[in-house]
Amino acid sequence: MDFNLPAADDPRRLEVRAWLEAHPSPGYDDLYAQGYTVPHWPRPWGLAADPELQLIIDDELARAGIRAPNHVNPVAINNCAQSLIGFGTDAQRERFLRPALACEEIWCMLFSEPGAGSDVGALRTTARRDGNRYIVNGRKIWTSLADRARVGVLVARTDPEAPKHAGLSQFLIDMDSPGIAIHPIVDMSGTRSEYFEVSLEDVEVPMDRRLGGEGDGWKLTMLQLQTERVALSKPGAIWGSGPTARDLIHGLIASGRAEADPLLRDEAVKLYIEGEILRLLAFRSLSDRMNARPSGPEGAIRKMLAAPHGQRVLDVAKRSQGAPGLVRDRNVLPMAEGERGPYGNWDTAFWFSPGVTLGVGTQEILKNVVAERLLGLPRDRDPTAKLPWRDVAQG
Amino acid sequence: MDFALSDEHRLLRDSARDFLAGEMNLQPLLVPGADATAAPRAALWEKMVALGWSGLIVPEALGGLGMSHVDLAVIVEETGRSLATSPLFGTLAGSWALLAAGSAAQQAQLLPAVATRGHRLALGMPDEKMTVTTDRLTGQCALVVDADADTLVIAAGGRYFLVDPQARGVTIERLEWRDITREVSRVSFDAVRAEPMERSVDEAWPWIRDRLYLLLAAESAGGLQHVLDASVAYAQERVAFGRPIGAYQAIKHQLADMKGQVECADVAVLYAAWALDNDPDVAPLAAAMAQSYASEAYSDAAFRSIQIFGAIGFTWEMRNHLYFKRARANAMLLGAPSAQRAEIFATLKAREAA
Repeated sequence: MDFNLPAADDPRRLEVRAWLEAHPSPGYDDLYAQGYTVPHWPRPWGLAADPELQLIIDDELARAGIRAPNHVNPVAINNCAQSLIGFGTDAQRERFLRPALACEEIWCMLFSEPGAGSDVGALRTTARRDGNRYIVNGRKIWTSLADRARVGVLVARTDPEAPKHAGLSQFLIDMDSPGIAIHPIVDMSGTRSEYFEVSLEDVEVPMDRRLGGEGDGWKLTMLQLQTERVALSKPGAIWGSGPTARDLIHGLIASGRAEADPLLRDEAVKLYIEGEILRLLAFRSLSDRMNARPSGPEGAIRKMLAAPHGQRVLDVAKRSQGAPGLVRDRNVLPMAEGERGPYGNWDTAFWFSPGVTLGVGTQEILKNVVAERLLGLPRDRDPTAKLPWRDVAQG
Repeated sequence: MDFALSDEHRLLRDSARDFLAGEMNLQPLLVPGADATAAPRAALWEKMVALGWSGLIVPEALGGLGMSHVDLAVIVEETGRSLATSPLFGTLAGSWALLAAGSAAQQAQLLPAVATRGHRLALGMPDEKMTVTTDRLTGQCALVVDADADTLVIAAGGRYFLVDPQARGVTIERLEWRDITREVSRVSFDAVRAEPMERSVDEAWPWIRDRLYLLLAAESAGGLQHVLDASVAYAQERVAFGRPIGAYQAIKHQLADMKGQVECADVAVLYAAWALDNDPDVAPLAAAMAQSYASEAYSDAAFRSIQIFGAIGFTWEMRNHLYFKRARANAMLLGAPSAQRAEIFATLKAREAA
């Protein structure tokens, strides 16, 4: 057992640092060519790096003030592009991977629908085979980056006779295809450009844009969401980004509010402890992967713990302000310099935070995953699971 | 970097678990009216001594096993899981006090007896009302764990003393401590002759306290794991409205929360143990965090387990209350979790100022 993190003078760290010093403001194509975008992938895309080297590269990019590639093109890098290695064709890998990893083509995810959120297998968007193309019709929702994306990863129903999960397939579609329209959703924080609804009307998708076989859609979607939960292992309050419990303690001390309110101070220290433990859990799953131990659905445990933890961190920060905290203001608590990714300030992060137990798996779904897959408790019943989808849809 | 247990540690854990599963019997405590004397303390201690457990932390040069804190945590998680009734807590506490405050001669006199013959120790907490006049102690230690010992280590007037519990003037009254898996007593001293130790309470106590935090936190993490396992097993077997109760989200989501607590307590304890072995700068913080978190999570989970079992879980004949009471006791014995958090805050504030 060894809780040491890679040392400050680790030779691999020095090598990454030397490269960043020689290339002070690298483009994302440079980072990709160097293998720093997806170091854990096999060559030629990555470096087949162990998690320790991934950690070093993450650290050093942040230290150099570079916005991480997986923050620029998260859907491709965190979730979906990796599926092309196992399930894509040579032509698909050739066409899509380099532009995605070099952040030249932003990807978005077309999974949830207005009537299918947690139960995403009940989605109604159809992809009907028509000669050597598919014709797609339906509505997708909660799509981040739809306004900037060139590529959409779409899951749609190709076989309405099959049971709900079996009739789904995935496609890599051009977001500028005729028939696609996007509509911004304004969330409760007032952030205008985070989420979109996407409507698809008679959108033509060529055959060669299907990822995997017909019917592989559910399996691919689950794999992609699983990697997202593992990726969300940073300590920030909003899905790993934004202020942390360490920032909370720092801010409460620097503002004098920790001294003024012993009850708030006790809550804050409790959160500090939780935050440190969550860091340890994140590193433990990293080291498990490094030492080739199975990690499985444990990403669901961490997300189940981290999301409400982040909400409470933000809640304490906000409450420390009293009534003035209701005034829109970026200066909630003094904060040390540092790269925190999106949601970097307390005020925006707090008013966004009710969403973190909804997105990327609701808290209830995650608890089901933990209870059913890790503890072996009976699964929730879905009376529609085995029926032909057409019968379910007609209700 | 490897945050998980090594294969050797897994083996150690499994052998401790097997030993305790065979030897520890809670049944006598589940008879209504049972008190701490019903527990098989002496018999279990004899077997633990035979395994060398009385000398887990006694240096090899003094006849002990000289274990690391990680080794210790692995074993203590198992004694916590099984609620093993023995003077292990008192003997470990006294051994640490001897190592921290005793002279080389005192260590050489007592620790080999602890390690090889199971000589039992107990430690008085430093905040007790005790006075010293020319090496004679007067006063009272309100709560002493495992006071039915062979040697007591008592803090008085800023120093530690060795006291023979058979000496004239010592009165030991076993208390009706609610957690009957432990023996806790009030010990009174009336001009009792005592042998002063070398280092002061101020010098020794923080070092001892960090280790006691680890000890209780590891017990709590093990007990928490048991509480989860037992609750999951019950929720799979108990049927209501045609399904096992574990199929209902109202139950299974609580169990998912408890699984999260188990993972957090376990990693916090192992980190504290590792820090005590390897990183003295962070060890006090890590130990206080582990104790504060694990004892609170254990109390919470033990309460929930009673609710999940339903009314049967509220009866004396079930084990749930033994775990609930141990959890409550572990969360108070070394100061409330909020007191540990106050220590943590002081450390963090000092760091900010630095």
